[in-house]
Amino acid sequence: MASRTSAFPCRLPPACFLLVLLLLCVQPGGSQKKKENMLSEKVEQMMEWSSRRSVIRMNGDKFRRFVKAPPRNYSVVVMFTALQPQRQCSVCRQANEEYQVLANSWRYSTAFSNKLFFTVVDYDEGADVFQQLNMNSAPTFMHFPPKGKPRRADTFDLQRIGFASEQLAKWIADRTDVQIRVFRPPNYSGTIALALLVSLVGGLLYLRRNNLEFIYNKTGWAMAALCVVFAMTSGQMWNHIRGPPYAHKNPQNGQVSYIHGSSQAQFVAESHIILLLNAAITMGMVLLNEAATSKGDVGKRRIICLVGLGLVVFFFSFLLSIFRSKYHGYPYSFLIK
Amino acid sequence: MFTGLILKERRYRFNYRSTHYLTTNGFYEFLNWFDERAWYPLGRIVGGTVYPGLMVTAGLIHYVLNLLHVTVHIRDVCVFLAPIFSGLTAISTFLLTRELWNQGAGLLAACFIAIVPGYISRSVAGSFDNEGIAIFALQFTYYLWVKSVKTGSVCWTIGCCLSYFYMVSAWGGYVFIINLIPLHVFVLLLMQRFSRRVYIAYSTFYIVGLVLSMQIPFVGFQPIRTSEHMAAAGVFALLQAYAFLQYLKDRLTRQEFQTLFFLGVSLAAGAVFLTVIYLTYTGYIAPWSGRFYSLWDTGYAKIHIPIIASVSEHQPTTWVSFFFDLHILVCTFPAGLWFCIKNINDERVFVALYAISAVYFAGVMVRLMLTLTPVVCMLSAIAFSSVFEHYLGDDQKRESPPAEDSSDEDDKRSSGNLYDKAGKVRKHVSEQEKAEEGLGPNIKSIVTMLMLMLLMMFAVHCTWVTSNAYSSPSVVLASYNNDGTRNILDDFREAYYWLRQNTDERARVMSWWDYGYQIAGMANRTTLVDNNTWNNSHIALVGKAMSSNESAAYEIMQSLDVDYVLIIFGGVIGYSGDDINKFLWMVRIAEGEHPKDIRETDYFTPQGEFRVDKAGSPTLLNCLMYKMSYYRFGEMQLDFRTPPGFDRTRNAEIGNKDIRFEHLEEAFTSEHWLVRIYKVKKPENRQPLGHKPRITNIVPKQKYTSKKVAKRKRGYVRNKLVLKKGRRAVRKAL
Repeated sequence: MASRTSAFPCRLPPACFLLVLLLLCVQPGGSQKKKENMLSEKVEQMMEWSSRRSVIRMNGDKFRRFVKAPPRNYSVVVMFTALQPQRQCSVCRQANEEYQVLANSWRYSTAFSNKLFFTVVDYDEGADVFQQLNMNSAPTFMHFPPKGKPRRADTFDLQRIGFASEQLAKWIADRTDVQIRVFRPPNYSGTIALALLVSLVGGLLYLRRNNLEFIYNKTGWAMAALCVVFAMTSGQMWNHIRGPPYAHKNPQNGQVSYIHGSSQAQFVAESHIILLLNAAITMGMVLLNEAATSKGDVGKRRIICLVGLGLVVFFFSFLLSIFRSKYHGYPYSFLIK
Repeated sequence: MFTGLILKERRYRFNYRSTHYLTTNGFYEFLNWFDERAWYPLGRIVGGTVYPGLMVTAGLIHYVLNLLHVTVHIRDVCVFLAPIFSGLTAISTFLLTRELWNQGAGLLAACFIAIVPGYISRSVAGSFDNEGIAIFALQFTYYLWVKSVKTGSVCWTIGCCLSYFYMVSAWGGYVFIINLIPLHVFVLLLMQRFSRRVYIAYSTFYIVGLVLSMQIPFVGFQPIRTSEHMAAAGVFALLQAYAFLQYLKDRLTRQEFQTLFFLGVSLAAGAVFLTVIYLTYTGYIAPWSGRFYSLWDTGYAKIHIPIIASVSEHQPTTWVSFFFDLHILVCTFPAGLWFCIKNINDERVFVALYAISAVYFAGVMVRLMLTLTPVVCMLSAIAFSSVFEHYLGDDQKRESPPAEDSSDEDDKRSSGNLYDKAGKVRKHVSEQEKAEEGLGPNIKSIVTMLMLMLLMMFAVHCTWVTSNAYSSPSVVLASYNNDGTRNILDDFREAYYWLRQNTDERARVMSWWDYGYQIAGMANRTTLVDNNTWNNSHIALVGKAMSSNESAAYEIMQSLDVDYVLIIFGGVIGYSGDDINKFLWMVRIAEGEHPKDIRETDYFTPQGEFRVDKAGSPTLLNCLMYKMSYYRFGEMQLDFRTPPGFDRTRNAEIGNKDIRFEHLEEAFTSEHWLVRIYKVKKPENRQPLGHKPRITNIVPKQKYTSKKVAKRKRGYVRNKLVLKKGRRAVRKAL
């Protein structure tokens, strides 16, 4: 109001001025006031919702009223998703979890204010919104700025960045200047699993406390050590970090290839094959040794010896041929091309 | 064999430069060396931030040779240092394996490590690297440690400490030793294999090794202030508590002792653990550094430290690279591990722990394949040697595998019956006729033949890998024509020589950090960032300059006093390791420090692709790196099947062919366009305006002629205000 009057030329005597002021209040200020009322009402409503739940669920009407309609002084981040079980969208559920984490860390942070709200629109509750925005994939994250229409960068690039809450927080900080420190609720499942395992092992040891021989069982320990070694040499750590597909299916002819064509990458199935091959070769070496050292029937030992030799030679040449098919230009092979 | 005496990798240039400084200026000058040629304008304190072992070793050899009047250049010493040390590595591997199993396995292990590709990359002539000598130090330290655990003599342990000291001076990987040895002691305690010998060995090693390792300036107080070293301190405390309780055992009854023992051990362990946590919390002990932390939490580096994640050596390892580097050894060494665990004793516990930890680290990071290689050689040698022992030997003298707690007498006894080279086979086979319970000569000879064949394939593989992958210097690229003749692309050296000859001696060259050491070493010019990536924000600033548009980049380059910009461009010859392919890392690293100015999304097409052709994002097509790479490339037609400006590396016609520079000019482009150097222009005295100057006084259309003639001359007021009718300037300009 004040700004309006100050712009007014102030030559009128005070009485006139008051009159004009009154008039102004009644006449054009009415719509302004209404607008403001509406805005504060909206903000209040949003605050109330978000105090109840950190992510506000919206249907089509609510969406148009609180997110699309113009008098706004707050940013809204909307997740368009399809969470109903019959939609079978597993990505949506993962994305929803991350989104909840982010919204909760905003809700319970000290910087929480009425400048930013997190909302969700489910396809089954607001299909019209999806049509209106020309949206044909879920989940999608969009940011609606306080002024103006959302621009291209206001749609979160899910394909490339992924939907980790840290990335979402970075994107929001970029769009709205609100810094959210993501606070994940500590994941107790790992700790509980560990505690369970420890108590299980402890209980087992206690039950069998009179017969602890099995701890000194060298075969068991050797097996465990070999498992670690095989897992590492077959590249399971690479799988864990890079997350490759299990195998590749050619979309044209439907052929499934288990071996990746390049030496820079591998499939999960391939690493399992390599694991088995390595284990077979090792077993062959052990059998060869067993055959020579054990005391027993010579014929049996001969068979063991030949089996061991076969394992080593055959599986090694198989391994070499796989390597050769991946490492282009490698000239050597053994038994199998 | 060698293509001249070239130091091959980029970082070797830096090591050589430091060594050269050391030999010309002396050791103390070297320790105080402040290198103003690197990291301009910050400079780098070299003496305090390198592991000096390599330089001191080379300098010492040079000094001794010169003392004997064998006058060699320091460069020759540097080039041949790696082969000498790989020989020493083979010897120490032999010694260590002999301690673990027997002499025959030792010989095989030495043979394996001499040729295995995983190690040969560091041991060919011309590789002048910390890791080359560090593997020797590592193996020798382990040998002396195993020896001191076996004998319990302080003498061996002191030797172990000295070797450890050498390792600390040579490579940051010494952390592996200082964690593995305590782990060994800890596991021995758990297995109730505690003995006086272990107590003496570890107590001496910890104290003396700690004091010695703190003598290296770069390490300093780290051994008592960082989490990486805390395991060693904890085990030391635990060992003392354990030994004290053992001492009490003689003085107490059995029942009393048992309660006291469990109480004491758990109290000691708890106290050590809590102390470490408390000290970490209060800040006396630094938490795990990012590089070490990324070994445990494998996703850590990807999110938090892009500069670590960007180096190809820090990627996880596929099975192909395991097989490529170790061939048959990778399939057979588990068998060796099996034999070791089945016939366990104190030192075989050590080798088992060594194998398991090293294989884990090698799986996480390609680079740590180097620490896995020695133990794989040793265990494979054990596997092969035990097979050969049974199948080459005489049935009558069949021996059980070396007994537990084998000592030196064992070795002497069994050494008589070792397999030798193939020449002796015939004699044994002929004697085997008498064998009754043996497997028979036929099977034995078949097994021997096939095993030898596998080993022969291993040797052939090693030769092939060495000649193909590891022996051509990365400074010189080789390409093969259709008829098999080899072309040498010597663009790098050409460009560095140009820089050395044609630029001012104090000129500052900006390039991506990969080429920092090379520019400093071969062109002898000041660089902004180099391969020692200690200052991330400085690298990010260079990345920002490369990824902004020209005028923004010019401001950054002005503030950094850049005179020349050097980039690598592989589009002409199809070299894939060029700067455009590395470009996204520059953007990512720059984004990490300047998220407001650089955004990775801007460099992708809306579909999320990284393309250099017309469909590419406009930000990419106008950033400095793109413009410098493709300047005048649009005029060049490589062959008739492709349009002009066709990039062979990315197989695309470039999107921006009309590239002009305002603040830069092309200074040099090498023969195959591999290296391009641009000169940054000095700011001009008069800044040219980007537009036409604004017209302030409007000249009337026709020349004004005074109507006044001499007669009608009246007086006039000087400087009288004359109102001119305004006209629109726009119309005027038209």
